[in-house]
Amino acid sequence: MQESQSVATPFAPASVPNVTGVRVQQGPIRLAVIDTDSGFVRVLGKRVGEMGWQHRILTAPPRPEDLLSMRLHALIVDLALLGPNGWEFLEHVCESVPGLGVIVCTGNSSVAQRVRGLRIGADDWITKPCHPQEVIARVEAVVRRRKRSVPGSTEDGPLLAGELEIRADQFQAFVGGQSIDLTRREFELLHLLAKARGRVLERDEIYQHVWGYAMVHGDRSVDVFVRKVRQKIERFSPDWTYIHTHFGIGYRFEPEAPDDEPAAEPAAEELPSGA
Amino acid sequence: MSMLRPTSNGSGLLALFEESGRNVERTGSLLRDLLDDFPEHSSLARDILICEQEGDRITHDIIHEMTINGSKLDQRDAYELARALDDVVDYAEETADSLELYGVEAPMEQAQELAAVLADASVSVAEALAHLRADEDVSTQLIEIHRLENEGDRISREAIASLFKSGTDPMVVIRWKDIFESLEQAIDSCETVAHVIEGMRLKRR
Repeated sequence: MQESQSVATPFAPASVPNVTGVRVQQGPIRLAVIDTDSGFVRVLGKRVGEMGWQHRILTAPPRPEDLLSMRLHALIVDLALLGPNGWEFLEHVCESVPGLGVIVCTGNSSVAQRVRGLRIGADDWITKPCHPQEVIARVEAVVRRRKRSVPGSTEDGPLLAGELEIRADQFQAFVGGQSIDLTRREFELLHLLAKARGRVLERDEIYQHVWGYAMVHGDRSVDVFVRKVRQKIERFSPDWTYIHTHFGIGYRFEPEAPDDEPAAEPAAEELPSGA
Repeated sequence: MSMLRPTSNGSGLLALFEESGRNVERTGSLLRDLLDDFPEHSSLARDILICEQEGDRITHDIIHEMTINGSKLDQRDAYELARALDDVVDYAEETADSLELYGVEAPMEQAQELAAVLADASVSVAEALAHLRADEDVSTQLIEIHRLENEGDRISREAIASLFKSGTDPMVVIRWKDIFESLEQAIDSCETVAHVIEGMRLKRR
């Protein structure tokens, strides 16, 4: 991924991912801007920096998986910079990173172009020249709307699986009402696996979601953290098996009852809010 | 003719080198165990630190032996050998210390492989020094150390290259580049030991 020299504060973990990999905004907004208009990005960068946002300026379109690893809340893109591939890029990002707020900020455009962009999946369209303050307000509005609509936010109900209750609103899992004392990262790992509802998640995929970066070949972090989570669950729910290893691939969450039969209930049943 | 013409003081020095070799072997073995199951047995880092202190003590004793009693060994060779042996243990200890210092939460397979290579090389170093004292042939051990150093080089190069792929956490790059390098330096020091011993052997001829 190419980045400009004006890359700002490195991103730091600020919130919890849902299964889409997009962060539920709790800490500072994490924003990326794909634009080469140096005056615009400098002023915008300065203002969002002052607001405590974390931002990154990109001079070329990144791959959607790279965007995913940045754990962004919003992306501002100048379609003019992308040339004829702009529409394709926009469509691909909106499909691949469904929880990401996408704002097109570009020069003169026709009504047909704006309608096309919004129909493809952009959340907003701003025409240059524009005031940075307006851009910031629109980003805030998009992120606010996303926060309300993104499933897996802290407004979600708990996940029940076997004897385990996984509560995203408390970043913790419980057995019989007792906390199993997960760290933040351990919780994120368990929550991700449980939300995948019995699907095998590859190590790289888990790492990308929980750590927010591409996994280096040979990194054993996922294995070590799965082991920690298993040990903590086992202390409180020793008869059940929750996390299954798929050798050479990754892990699957599926609660299995003491008689080794798969649990009769769904792997991870999501209860309505407030349950 | 004896390889190093040990005299009473020469053999004392060779005994110290053998002791240093055993310390190197123990350090290599501890570091391999530490990384194999990291972070389950993090307390092994403490044992490695003790080895490092023991290595310093032996190096001091070697220098003391040379200064006070003199030696039939070439002093420069003896000093080089003592220093290289000390380096093996120092770099191994630095690796263990970095795991703690950088807050490493999980190992990398490449680091485990490098630690295994270091452990094997350390065994060969210890054997070579035992043979040196007994005035026996050391060529098998020296060849094995050179082979292991090449193997370590290859693993280290690939490991460092893997860190610089797109999208990697910069903190992962910083901490593991240092750790891979200190592991490689420990293995390189084993090769330095082999070179010095080889030089001693050539001088005998």
